Amino acid sequence: MKRRDLLAGGAACWACSLVHSAWAQTPADLDYAMPDRLTQPDPASDEGGLWALMDREERSLRRSPFAVRDGGLKAYVQDVACRLGGDHCPDLRIHLVRTPVFNATMSPNGMMQLWTGLLLRIENEAQLAAVVGHEIGHYLQRHTVDRLRDIKARSAFGQFLGLFGLAGAVGQLAVLASAFAYSRDHEREADRIGAILMHQAGYDVAEASRVWGNLLDELKARGQDPELISPLFATHPAPPERRETLAAYAAALPGGSAGDAAYETGTGRFLDEWLDDEVKRAQYAETLVLLSRLLTRRSGQGVIHLHRGDVYRLRGEKGDVDLAMADYQAAIRSADAPPRAYRGIGLTARQLGQKTEAVAALSRYLELAPDAPDARLIGTYVAELR
Amino acid sequence: MNKLLVVALAVVLAACATVRKVESGSRPVGERMTMTIEGDWNHLDYPGIRPAQIWTMEGVTIDEFLIYSGIRDGQVMHPETPASSQKKNIVFRSNMQIEDVVAMFEGLLTRDGSTFRVISVEPYPFAGGQGFRFEYERIRKVDNVQQRGVGFGAVDRGELFALIYQAPRLTFFPRHKDRVEAIARTVSIR
Repeated sequence: MKRRDLLAGGAACWACSLVHSAWAQTPADLDYAMPDRLTQPDPASDEGGLWALMDREERSLRRSPFAVRDGGLKAYVQDVACRLGGDHCPDLRIHLVRTPVFNATMSPNGMMQLWTGLLLRIENEAQLAAVVGHEIGHYLQRHTVDRLRDIKARSAFGQFLGLFGLAGAVGQLAVLASAFAYSRDHEREADRIGAILMHQAGYDVAEASRVWGNLLDELKARGQDPELISPLFATHPAPPERRETLAAYAAALPGGSAGDAAYETGTGRFLDEWLDDEVKRAQYAETLVLLSRLLTRRSGQGVIHLHRGDVYRLRGEKGDVDLAMADYQAAIRSADAPPRAYRGIGLTARQLGQKTEAVAALSRYLELAPDAPDARLIGTYVAELR
Repeated sequence: MNKLLVVALAVVLAACATVRKVESGSRPVGERMTMTIEGDWNHLDYPGIRPAQIWTMEGVTIDEFLIYSGIRDGQVMHPETPASSQKKNIVFRSNMQIEDVVAMFEGLLTRDGSTFRVISVEPYPFAGGQGFRFEYERIRKVDNVQQRGVGFGAVDRGELFALIYQAPRLTFFPRHKDRVEAIARTVSIR
């Protein structure tokens, strides 16, 4: 496990939390009063040490080339957090991280990380609010500190940590604590708070369970039971139970908006970049489920068709050539027709021996994208085909 | 913390990899490929990178020279370890076109969360025939190091032969790039 994964995991982890909580009961307590704003703890305390560690991680994250620096996007997500967090808004700092994996984390010092793989999979602002609200719930209830103290109480852990020789016992505990799952009680509480915050902010709470359902669909596309392919799924209650509980919250907290248009406005221009990163994962079965879902839920149809065509072409299974061509054709018929769709048509036609079509499409691609990284390669193909 | 991680990575690699010196001269790699090197390299026998060989000049946490020789249709590239086996393996197909092979390497070199941006890809003579050459930028996830890379290769009688070199972009890549280009020009396939 990488350091950043460890640190991030120590904060409240949305992706992990999804598999941690499962409740069969109907939500009983839908009242929640936020605590006063949290203050920096005594640096000599265990909590103070944890804050210091996370402050250092946050400074590193600010310098990281993986940090998304687009001011407009950051402001959009920060605004959603502030809408949910109320008086705690000044203490919540959202960091967007370019990584094509579904994950969000919350640190006790107010640092929240959202990975671009999560933003790609979110369909609307209410779903974003579900994730952010859940993480804020962890922050408000200081779950990381509770977890740290729980672990400190275990002498066996203390001995284990001592083997690593890292400076600062609190820091050791914080880093390794992050490798362990959050308690089910914490996850229950964070989801309950998140749902309440969503409702108070005017979001449709029903979107929270849809986030979970969508993720499960992708995992099932691997051809195995999600409860078997992930240690998290294997060791925790069945995901459908949680989906039911979230649906129960939605029934108890009706109304609100999904915020489809707002999310499109806030994030739509990054769809192409995030899909590029997604396709590079080469996890084609999952990605196809994602892309097919996005085609029904998002704008940017041309870009989505382009990437689904690329996935079919790269996967190269029986029948994929035809599916790829159909997607590329759909892409160039869309209002946002991307030049690379012509590349896809040309490469696919070349593969099928359709020389005339290949030359026309590849030439069109070079007209539209003369400075493309593969322009010389494509130019050679055109010359060979003529 | 970054330094600690790099040290930890080196320790882990040292624990599961053996290192041996590769001296200047003509060197066979695999059953069909031969290349001539000038200057000594270090060859790590690291299972996680198979079927590639991994060589390095400066140390594997700094620069990596990946050598693929005779990769057959359906062969798994860099097999996933049990700890990360939730992911599907990436497989070479003998009918891959140049752009598909480059995309395959993109997938392999971003599997750890690193970013990868192709700068150029073009046809290029390799092993006496038509091959390809590509350059790229990569940001290594584990320590945020900004790397530059170059790759060469060809598919010959259904088998992939390729060389990839990547190193930090400011100092080490320029230091060894010409050396790698020279090696690529000497590759022969029988």
